[in-house]
Amino acid sequence: MTESAFVCEHCQLPIAAEQLVSDRVDDQVHHFCCRGCLGAFRIISGAGLERFYRQRDWDRPGTAEGAFETGFHPELLEQLVQRGEQGNELTFLIEGIRCASCVWLNEKILQDLAGVLEARINYGSHRARVRFDPQQTTPSEIFTRISRLGYRPRPLTAQALQDAGLRERRSLLIRFGTAAFLSMQLMGYSLALYAGYFQGIEPGARKLIQYFAAGVTTPVVFYAGWPFLSGGWRSLRNRAPNMDLLITLGVLTAYFYSLLMLGTGGEVYFDSAAMIVTLILLGRLLESAARRQASASIDRLLQLTPDRATRLDPDGKRELVETGTLQPGDLILVGPGERFAADGALAEGNTEVDESIVTGEPQPVHRAAGDRIISGSLNITTSVRLRITQPANESFIAKVARLVEQAQARRAPVQAVADRVSAWFVPAIMALAGSTFGFWLWRDVSTSSAVLNAISVLVVACPCALGLATPTAILVATGTAAKAGILFRGGDILEQTARLSVIAFDKTGTLTEGRPTVTGISSRDMTADELLAIAARIESGTRHPIATGVLREAERRGIAVPPQSGVKTFPGRGLRLELPTEIILAGQADFLRAAWVEVPDRESNDAIEIHLASNQTYLGSIRLEDRLRPEAAAALEALHADNYRTCLMTGDPSAVGRQIADRLAIREFASGLNPEQKANWLDEQQSRGERVMMVGDGINDAPALAAADVGCAMAGGTDIALETSDIILTRPDLGKLAEAVHLARKTLVIIKQNLFWAFSYNLLAIPLAASGRLAPVYAAAAMAVSSVCVVGNSLRLARAAKTNRTGQAATKGADHA
Amino acid sequence: MLDSILLLIMLSLFLGTGVWLFFIWAVKKGEFDDIEGPKYRMLDDDDETRNRPTDADGDAP
Repeated sequence: MTESAFVCEHCQLPIAAEQLVSDRVDDQVHHFCCRGCLGAFRIISGAGLERFYRQRDWDRPGTAEGAFETGFHPELLEQLVQRGEQGNELTFLIEGIRCASCVWLNEKILQDLAGVLEARINYGSHRARVRFDPQQTTPSEIFTRISRLGYRPRPLTAQALQDAGLRERRSLLIRFGTAAFLSMQLMGYSLALYAGYFQGIEPGARKLIQYFAAGVTTPVVFYAGWPFLSGGWRSLRNRAPNMDLLITLGVLTAYFYSLLMLGTGGEVYFDSAAMIVTLILLGRLLESAARRQASASIDRLLQLTPDRATRLDPDGKRELVETGTLQPGDLILVGPGERFAADGALAEGNTEVDESIVTGEPQPVHRAAGDRIISGSLNITTSVRLRITQPANESFIAKVARLVEQAQARRAPVQAVADRVSAWFVPAIMALAGSTFGFWLWRDVSTSSAVLNAISVLVVACPCALGLATPTAILVATGTAAKAGILFRGGDILEQTARLSVIAFDKTGTLTEGRPTVTGISSRDMTADELLAIAARIESGTRHPIATGVLREAERRGIAVPPQSGVKTFPGRGLRLELPTEIILAGQADFLRAAWVEVPDRESNDAIEIHLASNQTYLGSIRLEDRLRPEAAAALEALHADNYRTCLMTGDPSAVGRQIADRLAIREFASGLNPEQKANWLDEQQSRGERVMMVGDGINDAPALAAADVGCAMAGGTDIALETSDIILTRPDLGKLAEAVHLARKTLVIIKQNLFWAFSYNLLAIPLAASGRLAPVYAAAAMAVSSVCVVGNSLRLARAAKTNRTGQAATKGADHA
Repeated sequence: MLDSILLLIMLSLFLGTGVWLFFIWAVKKGEFDDIEGPKYRMLDDDDETRNRPTDADGDAP
């Protein structure tokens, strides 16, 4: 075994030989990639939490960027503390959490800290809430503790906004809880009343139970049902009848009629009123939970640009300031591994910048003094000074965010269709109920039976089955999809997905893996392995994606890479290593030519190529390529078989995209597009009546993802891409995309069946009710039966998807082991 | 007959109200804010860590 074959026991990254840190912990030698990881390992094993290493389930190695760096500003952190009776509270975000074990580890390690009273981390939002005793510990101690584990704690901004969302969710939950509790009581009373209706009941007991029923129903209707009542009232005032109005109408009629009957001694139907409210609240609750699950990354993406920057004052003083306070002309210092806080131009130094979140291209670009820098991009090699040119709220990221916002606001909710239906359905039913009442009054039956018949019409036409038809199908489908790693952000998305005609793909990271892999080695006078060994040796000191690709290939071939120091980096061009006996150069052809090495001219085939030379002698070259995802071909084939038009859009101007399009039989192809052009292309398609899905990742796709009818982001994409998209694939697997489209189509079929069923039920039952052959009790029962049918039909979706997935069950099981 | 019905109804309402108040308290405390985590936490919590310090003195060597 060679040194380079080690993988860091803490962060799982392969260890570059010169960085290897080995140490004895608990009488066993362990290997790490840096001292930070060693420290984290010591803390974890010292606290007896080694289980973390056995149980974690990381989808990618490495620690959070900027972890292990201490130095949190105590004053800034103090401002975030909320003081309370039982200790102070600190809420913040933890970056780098990848699995349930990470949550567990951080909680345990915080609880072990003296003075921490309670530590809770939200699994979905990665938000930590720590209650602590200010006498014993400080916020910066808490932050340092987490940072030492290789995670990165971050102060939360936009706190107030999130708190409002939380309050709303809690209020909905309390409304539902109240409705459910009272409905359960009510069910007992109703059971007695129904039994009494058929078998006879003592009048006194009946009256008593009816009063109790009225008592529990009143808060259900007027407190729990308040969202519908106010919605219905608003729709009435706006003269735009919607489903809320229908619900309000059904609920209020049942309620007030029952109150009337309470006075006159007839049958009461409080249970109808309460059950409608409870069931519909349940639907809304589940929907909001699904929605929240799909947008768990919202906190994280807002943090794309750092919220603090180190400003250099004219007198040379360094000051940590809020990003929002930066002005054009300010000078900030950005270290390696940090993101640029605002747009600007490099004032001094040169470095390599990873703009992949902005452009989607994984290759870092070289930037020298005077070059423009885009906020949010990552500084890789050296510490530089940046002259700000745009205030933070005018930065590139902010603009993209605004584009996205506009695109989202433009989207009309699919709910409008249901509202259009109810716009005539509601008045029609009201008219029908009215004429039923009039007719029976004219036929000279008693007033009470005329009211009874009218109420039967209203109850039987009540939107229960109709209202359940869509939400239940969507609920089951989103739930099933989520288990398969497909997150639909809401039911309208499912419907839109089912109606797609065009699917557009981004190239890098979507159809390809997004990281360069060695595809060919051509060497002179030596074997490929020997050349690779030299390349790996010189590249071992850098963390450049190309270097990583070369090192990965060397590891795969089992080539030992000895540690190497003294390598000089020429950012964006190449590397130079001076040994006593020879000078080795590696890099672009031009870089070698500048050192008077003769590099053979070769037709550029658009792959990345690094050339090597030793003492002016050309040794050969290594080609790397961003490879297609292995499942791409099969997934595209499945989509083509379903008659979707596919299209490849890429920001990369080279011909690589064309080759990929040809290989995957994608007929349409556009290259060299900037984010806005991508969105425009989609707009154009939409104006031609096409329904377009965009599949991508990276910030440059964000406007397109939002502009498309349906945006689909792959996991591993940037947070903002995840946020603007409608479908999120939690595993980067294009096969899931085909599955998602398939499921959406099936869901639409089920929804149509449900609507048909619910409507025919109404069509059949309403005449019966109007003709007086259906007492309200039976009407309510019929309504319940139709609801059960609809729910049962929706549940078929779960089974259909399950049989669809048996092939993947095995791999899934392995994932969870 | 009527008395016993009344008694039972009052009893069930009383018990139910207790549970309902408990539920509201739990919601307000944020018990339902994270509905994903507990299923994993449950698996993790069943064996306590080996040498976890009793409460104070947190820093491991």
